[in-house]
Amino acid sequence: MTYLVAAVGGLGFFALSMLLLGVWPGEALEEQIHQTSPAHPLPLSASEQRGRAIYAREGCAYCHTQQIRYLARDVSRFGKATLAWETIFDYPHLWGTRRIGPDLSREAGVRSPDWQYSHLFAPQTLVRDSVMPAYPWLFHGAPDQPAQDARDVLAYLETLGRDRYLAGPEGEAAAKKACNCSEDERKFAFGPGPLNASPAIPLRKGKFPLLPVSNDEARGRQLYSRNCAGCHGAEGAGDGAGAAGLHPKPANFTEQEYAQERLSQALWNGVAGTAMPGWRDIPPADLAAMARTVRNFHQNGPEPALPEGVLELGAKVYAAHCAQCHGEKGAGDGSAADQFPVPPTNFQTQRPSLAASLRAVKNGIEGTPMAPWSGRLSEAEVYAAAYFVRGFYKGGIRKGDGQ
Amino acid sequence: MIEHPPETESLSVPSAGVETRLVSLHAHAALGTLLVSLLFGVLAAMELAVPGSGGSAPFMSWGKLRYDHTQGIMLGWLGNAFFAFLYHAVPLLTGRTVTSARLGQWIFGLWNFVIVLPGWVLVLAGFSQPLEWAEFPLVIDVFVVLALLLAAVQFLAPFFRSALEDLYVSSWYIIGGLVFTLFAYPMGNIVPELLPGARGAAFSGLWIHDAVGLFVTPLCLAIVYYVIPAATGRPIYSHFLSMLGFWLLFFLYPLNGTHHYVFSVIPMSAQIGAIAASTLLGVDVVIVVANLLLSVRGTNWFRRDMGLRFVTTATLFYLIVSIQGSLQAQMSINQSVHFTDWVVGHSHLAMLGFASFAAVGGIIHAWQRLPGKRCNTMLLGWAYWLLVSGLLIMVLDLTIAGLAEAAAWSSGAPWLDSVRAARPYWIIRVFTFIPLAAGFILLLAGLSSGERTGAKNEGEAA
Ligand code: HEC
Ligand code: HEC
Ligand code: HEC
Repeated sequence: MTYLVAAVGGLGFFALSMLLLGVWPGEALEEQIHQTSPAHPLPLSASEQRGRAIYAREGCAYCHTQQIRYLARDVSRFGKATLAWETIFDYPHLWGTRRIGPDLSREAGVRSPDWQYSHLFAPQTLVRDSVMPAYPWLFHGAPDQPAQDARDVLAYLETLGRDRYLAGPEGEAAAKKACNCSEDERKFAFGPGPLNASPAIPLRKGKFPLLPVSNDEARGRQLYSRNCAGCHGAEGAGDGAGAAGLHPKPANFTEQEYAQERLSQALWNGVAGTAMPGWRDIPPADLAAMARTVRNFHQNGPEPALPEGVLELGAKVYAAHCAQCHGEKGAGDGSAADQFPVPPTNFQTQRPSLAASLRAVKNGIEGTPMAPWSGRLSEAEVYAAAYFVRGFYKGGIRKGDGQ
Repeated sequence: MIEHPPETESLSVPSAGVETRLVSLHAHAALGTLLVSLLFGVLAAMELAVPGSGGSAPFMSWGKLRYDHTQGIMLGWLGNAFFAFLYHAVPLLTGRTVTSARLGQWIFGLWNFVIVLPGWVLVLAGFSQPLEWAEFPLVIDVFVVLALLLAAVQFLAPFFRSALEDLYVSSWYIIGGLVFTLFAYPMGNIVPELLPGARGAAFSGLWIHDAVGLFVTPLCLAIVYYVIPAATGRPIYSHFLSMLGFWLLFFLYPLNGTHHYVFSVIPMSAQIGAIAASTLLGVDVVIVVANLLLSVRGTNWFRRDMGLRFVTTATLFYLIVSIQGSLQAQMSINQSVHFTDWVVGHSHLAMLGFASFAAVGGIIHAWQRLPGKRCNTMLLGWAYWLLVSGLLIMVLDLTIAGLAEAAAWSSGAPWLDSVRAARPYWIIRVFTFIPLAAGFILLLAGLSSGERTGAKNEGEAA
């Protein structure tokens, strides 16, 4: 009897389960990998491997899954369902069984490096209501002083979804054709939706809805302090707790005027090349309420008197030095604009105060292609250009509109 | 198959051949590691309620606490509790001593000072595996497998030596559980290191379920099947049902694994098979539990004996958690509640409700039969109510949290809405630590105060 129980109950049923749910599905997976994998998926570099080890050690996988399920709710939130070949370098897998934070299978390219560092260093400074733990020991004391460990983690995060992205449309088409998979699998893994559905990826040229003018001050304030104050500061001065490690710094709303179009664009699409994410998961009415709050932070400073000849000098300097980026008419669409990771300011939809404009032209804007001009242009030229760009503004609604 | 464990009902008979010192050592280690694991758990829970509340030391990070919590519960608390019970039960079930007391000391030392303690420390120092129920690093796993081998020698040899024609059902579960785990443990810990991604995950799914279903469950059922007749003096209601339950359970449990990865890329046929097995398992558990409950019917189980009260309550939790398990494996439910706190509630109902109550019952039962130990029934009664209420509040709380998260996710609202929705429940969960810790401390107090055992009779306890 003892032998029977040990042999059948202990060993036999174990072997059966291994075979039915381990070995045999493994063969089916192997086959699918063979059919759908690109010829040369990119393995992890040494730094990426080290980052992966830190991710494993810190239990990131116990709050973040790395598997987009074959379900509409997963696909619409995160992107195309995870294929077997996407995890072939995962020893051991990091699939996870709990989502306290979002799935990270497609995290590559979603956030800017300064966002990722600041977030790892102290998540709640950027995302007020986050419960993600802080990992300050991966840094040399400040969010913009990452130690090798933090660099490695970031390098690893940038591999998540990379191979599928690199496979490109050709790879997708080939995989879809070769895959011996069911209708459902086809629908969720190769459907028409985006590979990465994150609502936060900054889109440089994405379409955006023009937000209505909201008069819901209370709602705007509430949402602003929940979503934006960590970076832009409680009173919009760009001095939130999360601002310290960001380059460029979050915009200072007290010294900017915005057309509704600009706010709509920045809120919907984010600002490419910066830590400013898109907010496409927030309903437009709520975005409009926040846009109102942003606009209301603006403080009208005294406008200095215009010295003789400034506009002519400004136009000259602008045409010579600025138009290739900011565009002839100041619309941010100069011939060189597309070469840079951060789009040049469109002065038609946004007007900095003279002080802010002067500061930007003199010192440049750290973390962006906007270089300092003080050495290259005379004091008068700098002043004239800084003044001149403010003339492009086409305005729009002003502070107090919609009340 | 024999009718009931060959233990007399009288508490006064010192059990022949029982290594009393090892029962006592493992029982102490069990309760000690339990309290530490509980502390890891509450620290992790506090991090979710108030991020940063645990300070910013690297070795105190949420993930590491989380790893040590579950490994401590499974290996430290339940492992030691099972050993304590086995030292009591195996000699009585087989009529033979365990292989060697000397070996017992080795196993004790190995289990606690080479596996649990260093495992905890290594995890905190950053050496671990990101695999559920397998978080201790591979070096530790080597010793776990060694210890499981030694445990097989220690506890299974008496069964083989005695060459019993018939085995009591507890013996079946002990033999099946120990042999199965000897194979499943290395599979779950090593295969995902060798097979990448989805293919490794298929095996992880198996182990996640085997750890609970083929290590914890059989040994807990061995305790329940043992304590009920021993404490009531009545045989199990139906031996046919015991047997049916056993074989179905050992056949079906291992086939459940893939239900942890429903809607994943793992072939749909494996998922469907696992879901079917999960459904049938629910039916099987109803059979097992009905058999057990019919065995305690009319025995005044609640008042008669503390060990009996705990194991019977464990049986009730086993029923609830298994039916819940069968339901949440169904695709329509799984797609909503998977990845949410609902599942965390489910695993507490399993490990804290079913398993821990059975383990506590087993420890109390063995303890009362050790010579010269103390036992304070009133304190144990308090412990019981604190544990029941702490557990139920926590499970209810996490279940609602899970539903709130599921609702936020399916509404397409920003991710943070689900975090904000769960936050109040995470805060409540922290407070369930108070009744639970108090319960376990009273349990410890109840086993170290009061009358000396070995003088009392069953009749008086009623
Ligand atoms: C206790 C749970 C928890 C742990 C552990 C955790 N996170 Fe998070 N994580 C979250 C939550 C919640 C969010 C969503 C809120 C936010 O953005 O902070 C998040 C968000 C993120 C995001 C942003 C995703 C996006 O694009 O929206 C990244 C990247 C991330 N975590 C990486 C990590 C890494 C790397 C680790 C391990 C070093 C980790 N997380 C550990 C909970 C956790
Ligand atoms: C992670 C930090 C962060 C958060 C959170 C954040 N922003 Fe930003 N925001 C930035 C940064 C950085 C920039 C880019 C500044 C630049 O281009 O120089 C920016 C730019 C902007 C701009 C464009 C301003 C300009 O002058 O070009 C607007 C408008 C804006 N943010 C509004 C918001 C609102 C509203 C929220 C809340 C929904 C928000 N931001 C949340 C960091 C953040
Ligand atoms: C290499 C391309 C480039 C050139 C050339 C350039 N800029 Fe910029 N400029 C930018 C970019 C990109 C930004 C936006 C940075 C950001 O998002 O913070 C910017 C921002 C600015 C701002 C700040 C706007 C604000 O709202 O705060 C001012 C003012 C400005 N530029 C003026 C000028 C002037 C005047 C010149 C010529 C002397 C000039 N720029 C030349 C790329 C350029």
